[in-house]
Amino acid sequence: MGNSNGDSGEVQQERQRNCDISNSWNKMKGITEENMPKECDSSTVELRARKNGFKDNVVEAAPTNGCLKNCTANTTQCATANGTACSNSNSNSKQSLYTPAKKLSEFAAEHTRKTSFEEVPLHTACLTYLGFYLLMILGYINQLLFVPKVAKEENREGYVTLYDAFESFYSRYVYRRVRDCWNRPICSVPGDEVTLKDRVTNDYGWSFQFTGTETRCLNLGSYNYLGFADATGPCAEQSEETAREMGLAMTSTRVELGTTQLHLDLESLTARYLGVEDAIVFGMGFATNALNLPSLISPGCLVLSDEKNHASIILGLRLSGATTKVFKHNNMRDLERVLRYNVVHGNSKNGGKPWKKILILVEGVFSMEGSIVRLPEIIALKKKYKAYLYLDEAHSIGAMGPHGGGAVDYFGADPKDIDILMGTFTKSFGSAGGYIAGSKRLIDFLRTNSHAHCYASSMSPPIAQQIYTSMSIIMGLDGTDTGRQKINQLARNTRYFRRRLAQMGVITYGHEDSPVVPMLVYLFSKIGAVVRTLTTRHIAVVGVGFPATPIMEGRIRYCLSAAHTKEQLDYALEVIDEISDRLGLKYSRKPREPNTIEY
Amino acid sequence: MLQNIIDFCNYWWFRYLMVTELYMVEKWERVTIHVIFAVLFCLFWYFNYSVLLSFTGSILGITPISDSIEQQAAKIA
Ligand SMILES: Cc1ncc(COP(=O)(O)O)c(C=O)c1O
Repeated sequence: MGNSNGDSGEVQQERQRNCDISNSWNKMKGITEENMPKECDSSTVELRARKNGFKDNVVEAAPTNGCLKNCTANTTQCATANGTACSNSNSNSKQSLYTPAKKLSEFAAEHTRKTSFEEVPLHTACLTYLGFYLLMILGYINQLLFVPKVAKEENREGYVTLYDAFESFYSRYVYRRVRDCWNRPICSVPGDEVTLKDRVTNDYGWSFQFTGTETRCLNLGSYNYLGFADATGPCAEQSEETAREMGLAMTSTRVELGTTQLHLDLESLTARYLGVEDAIVFGMGFATNALNLPSLISPGCLVLSDEKNHASIILGLRLSGATTKVFKHNNMRDLERVLRYNVVHGNSKNGGKPWKKILILVEGVFSMEGSIVRLPEIIALKKKYKAYLYLDEAHSIGAMGPHGGGAVDYFGADPKDIDILMGTFTKSFGSAGGYIAGSKRLIDFLRTNSHAHCYASSMSPPIAQQIYTSMSIIMGLDGTDTGRQKINQLARNTRYFRRRLAQMGVITYGHEDSPVVPMLVYLFSKIGAVVRTLTTRHIAVVGVGFPATPIMEGRIRYCLSAAHTKEQLDYALEVIDEISDRLGLKYSRKPREPNTIEY
Repeated sequence: MLQNIIDFCNYWWFRYLMVTELYMVEKWERVTIHVIFAVLFCLFWYFNYSVLLSFTGSILGITPISDSIEQQAAKIA
């Protein structure tokens, strides 16, 4: 199989890296610990002990795992470095009330400096709403006069209609008009370039015919952040080998006959990659959220969820039956307000008794907004109010941070401060599936309770192999620095692309280090026009409109990749510049960088 | 020269269709909407002319030019 965990030298190196990360974090905390009054410590611990969470005591994790040794090593080191008493991992909870205030304000300042959500110009806002109403009115007229065959439910006497009226109205009479810009079939690997299968419509989007031709396009739409979606190279070869050896499907669940050494290796490698004790992998990213959240929380629990969270999270929360409070996107003040209110007032449906658990649920990189979670501040809040933190790193894992370790790595946070680390393998790893990582107790709990583990078929072996190989490459376990190069290339591409777009004067959302770059075009027609025009210029992008975004914020989303070269990006930027002049997309009123931007 | 003007008009017509979302609708819908726009415009114009103008005129004590012309015409006749 060739799945051994690499020789010990490399392991050592990896540990060293983990040490470095948590060392700096601990140093930061060490400073505040010195001037911490001692009385508070016991009360904090008591408070924590009273919580009957699924993960009530961090220290109790079984010390059999290599990772735990690893973390004790860290803390010892930190003790010698700072001369303060953080010799056991319990110090985590002791420090909780004392957030490094200065540092946090620095993080906040950095966040505001690097993140931009420019206001929409008033006239554009008005036009967008007017246009939307116009489309609706036209839609109703259209529906009144012409009901096409596909829109009628026939031979169903006595039945009520099966399909929801508004949604079908919307997709028939608004979305259908620009339907050629979505669901475009492709016929190649979605690497740096992708081949679109051409099609035409003769009836305004009701039906399409293939023309038999193909268009090779620059791919600015796939989540192929590190460029691992490839039909050649080590990942593809090893996956092929695995497929020949083990077939394509396990045809069984993990708890029956679906666990192989490969799955176990992948789980331990994932845990090592993230610097936590243990991890569990699932065959589907969406299901990882939707099916694990219900096993972690139940009615009587409170979840504080960011308003821009992914559909899988929302579905999971609905399934769980927990009370969900939504806070404003990335707004720490709002989060703290909701948290404080609920800690103080408790569960009003249950006579004001305390909530069973409080869980804060955020994503690392928000896929529609291109913003990055304010992790240090959230960790401080979660410690202050003793809430659990669930971080969905679907878009950030691999794509963020100096070692590709996601938002945790980007902020240099201690992965143990996040109770539940979730992520998917569909993006940076060019594969499929998802993981949950955290303490050994959490993972053991999920192994017995998760529906996605017990009832869903286990991950396909070549898929697992693709993740294993790409993860090894990112970690440098293959003995090359390909992984490091890819991470650097992505970071450079991101910076360059975002800064060039800002210089052009289009409005982009989000954080300057996020590889998801939404460019605001506001109107439906403009989404359609941009996608169509870019396709004629051999660039494939994704448009996003209502209902995936608010009505007013139609956008084009570019996803950068380490596979793109500067020349490709330059070509794309040139074309984007040209069409944004022609279609009037340069809404930004910010001052523009006058100098040329270096790659 | 003429071509330039046509190009210019075409371009701004395209931009106009774009901001009103009429770019993505079918031709007959575009025509319908423009007819509705035209009818609305005419109604407004008529309303302004017949109601608003005489109303503001009577408030501010201004006699519309057309009225005085009519009076003059009546006198002459
Ligand atoms: C934040 C987030 N979570 C989960 C998922 C689902 O992952 P998958 O596509 O692997 O099912 C996505 C996918 O886009 C996502 O953006």
